Amino acid sequence: MTYYNNAVITKRELLVRLIKLLDEDTLFEKIDRIPLEMRPRTNSPIRCCVHKDRAVIKYKIMALLGFNIADEQDELTPLSEYAVQAIKGYEQDGNFLTVVDEACSSCVQVNYTVSNLCQGCEGRPCQVNCPKDAIMVLNGKANIDHQKCVNCGICQKACPFHAIAYLPVPCEESCPVKAIRKNANGIEEIDFEKCIHCGKCMTACPFGAISGKSQILNLYYNIKHKQEKTVAMVAPAILSQFKANSSQIINAIKEIGFDEVVEVAEGANLTTDHETQELIERLNEGASFMTTSCCPSYIEFAEKHAPELKPFISDTPSPMGYTAQLARKRFPDHKTVFIGPCLAKRKEAYKNKDVDYVVTTEELGAMFGALKIDVNIKTDSNPDTVVRPESRGYAASGGVTNAIQAILSSEQQIKTELIDGLDKKSIRLLKSLPKKNALGADFYEVMACDGGCINGPVNIAPYKMSQSKLKQAINELKTVESVQ
Amino acid sequence: MQAKTKYKVEICCGTMCYIMGGADLHLLNDYLPAALRQLVSIEGAPCFGNCDTHEKIHPCVRINGVELPNASTRKIVDKLIILENNDLL
Repeated sequence: MTYYNNAVITKRELLVRLIKLLDEDTLFEKIDRIPLEMRPRTNSPIRCCVHKDRAVIKYKIMALLGFNIADEQDELTPLSEYAVQAIKGYEQDGNFLTVVDEACSSCVQVNYTVSNLCQGCEGRPCQVNCPKDAIMVLNGKANIDHQKCVNCGICQKACPFHAIAYLPVPCEESCPVKAIRKNANGIEEIDFEKCIHCGKCMTACPFGAISGKSQILNLYYNIKHKQEKTVAMVAPAILSQFKANSSQIINAIKEIGFDEVVEVAEGANLTTDHETQELIERLNEGASFMTTSCCPSYIEFAEKHAPELKPFISDTPSPMGYTAQLARKRFPDHKTVFIGPCLAKRKEAYKNKDVDYVVTTEELGAMFGALKIDVNIKTDSNPDTVVRPESRGYAASGGVTNAIQAILSSEQQIKTELIDGLDKKSIRLLKSLPKKNALGADFYEVMACDGGCINGPVNIAPYKMSQSKLKQAINELKTVESVQ
Repeated sequence: MQAKTKYKVEICCGTMCYIMGGADLHLLNDYLPAALRQLVSIEGAPCFGNCDTHEKIHPCVRINGVELPNASTRKIVDKLIILENNDLL
């Protein structure tokens, strides 16, 4: 879940500025001025000085242009040079997150710190109970030796004055698969052998030091200069992100310059049908359970951390997969652009040759902002009636289960379970399932984000609002059905 | 029609305000103190038309017609409390 904070706003401001410059055809001339404009000398600096602040902005832009910060060859390379490459489209390497090392504050090495509440008592339970002999008392105050401390936390529990505080490292703490760790310089580094692109570290870091690699400049350049025809594939979660109804949102997307728009919910119709059939077949063949396949972060989790789960995952393509097939068939000369609330979809798209670009909710919002597109314009168009209401429901946890149960006949009813969010606890449960299906369910719906896609890492609307807006988008279809 | 309330909070629904934090302001009602809740009406409004300045002003709200730039839920609630307290004096 993304809490509103200044680091998020900085990212969005950068996206808006970049798209604006590109739209005015002044990107190459003015991109190197963005750090100066956003961090003027007159402001009091956020970090040590204005120069540091500007460097942070520079590297955040570099990440948004689609580059790995670690790949930088020459520190003097101006942003304009990167922008030229970004317009052409960067070569993807299958990893879609990068640490902006300049922004990483190298949070504490050791999670425990002695505060000034320390009374320097005679008992010194912290020192006496420390298994590593890491605590020394200097000038009447306990000190933790960072070389010796192993973060066990016994000193904190032992101190009767609550003088020892726990300082988390937000990115490390939020990662469910321990994929982010400090390197020798104290800067965080993502281990892509482990990373499942859930985006939790990105939303957790209050310095905004972890950034997704965006394709937005490449895409918008091609749209603006009509280099490519494009078809936008709009995920159902997008319909929950703006204060407007779904036809208004879809119209606003067309106004950006996309030639065609299809709803990913249309592909979800097919996912529901095939997945239901597959489930019944598998259960008849004696499988103990099946899990969903639509969450790309979960798929990456299974591949990297729990290969024993793979035989139990449905082989049915995700709604994005089916929609991309449909889009390719209908518009063979168009580039397909998935618009959704998900980082891991970039990985899924990377492996799926039918998807050419992935745009996040934030990037879509930034395009609306930069191009001054008002989402609230009145429209007369009616929602697409090929889409089932349940298919839009895929965006919230429980949606897939609901869609499948809606088409099962009453004698076929199955027992279902929802794994709502990948965290340490649900991962333990998932890993245990192949050995023993302890919950006894036939069908497990797995969502990496708790709450589902409407609570994705790159969304704009707060979760509570997304819930009610998604309900509204689903009900719009129900009223159309009842009218007919 | 809703009965006329003492304080009218209009939240700019223009896209820039919306993406720069305005989306979160729509949950304002959850943060209002109980004493104020009955007195405040919250509505979305079209863009106020201030977007072209170079200063950072997003998101914007209007409280009884007076604009409050760089709004946050906290700021709006504080403003409303001040208005209400002044009124009680």
